[in-house]
Amino acid sequence: MFLQVALVIVFSSIIALYRAISGPTIYDRVLAVNVIGTKTVLVLVLVEFIYERPEFLDIALVYAIINFIGTIAFLKYIEKGGLT
Amino acid sequence: MDEVDEHVTVTGESVIVRPVEELYIIRRIIARIMVPLTQLYGLYVIMHGEGGPGGGFQGGVILGSATILYVLVFGVDEAKKRISESLNNLMKSTGVLIYAGIGLLCIIFGGYYLEYYALPLGHPEKASELGILGVEIGIGITVSAVMISIFFDLAERFEK
Repeated sequence: MFLQVALVIVFSSIIALYRAISGPTIYDRVLAVNVIGTKTVLVLVLVEFIYERPEFLDIALVYAIINFIGTIAFLKYIEKGGLT
Repeated sequence: MDEVDEHVTVTGESVIVRPVEELYIIRRIIARIMVPLTQLYGLYVIMHGEGGPGGGFQGGVILGSATILYVLVFGVDEAKKRISESLNNLMKSTGVLIYAGIGLLCIIFGGYYLEYYALPLGHPEKASELGILGVEIGIGITVSAVMISIFFDLAERFEK
């Protein structure tokens, strides 16, 4: 059950990857990368249920935090041309 | 909202000029919530390094990324009031001092370098656990300070 759900999420992130590669504007690409990051968090949580290793929940939390910070940094770089 | 002042343009329209504190308000509020939670999570990763995934380096990176988020949202000048250059250098060297100090304490009490069983903390396994925890705290302090200073250097290079 969890394996099938994980496969569906991986397939939908491949669709988002297509949008990230061929997006017309930069904001499509940022949104697609953000979607892929969110789906990666979900896949990590599902891997925790598949292999019954609760350590993966910690990794999923770290991935969620880093994904948020990376998106903020990327958008700020687009907006101002710098990180400050 | 009482800081909002109205400017009348040449064509007679009145334009509301918002103060800087109201710009990017979503980003600021989210960062104000996320920074302490991220720091708490970094401390959790450092403390549970011996029993789960993570450790000193990973927890230090998470601690540093909390400060990086603060710098991104509130600016370098605001962040340097909180973490100055000298405090950052002090944190870097303090972590190395903790690491090397615990290693040398093991030599003083008759073991090899970083052989925690030699520490006089009761049971040898208890001594080993506490020694690993101390070393990981040192690594975490150093890594977080190094991450912050790498980010400051990169941001100032982009600014030039």
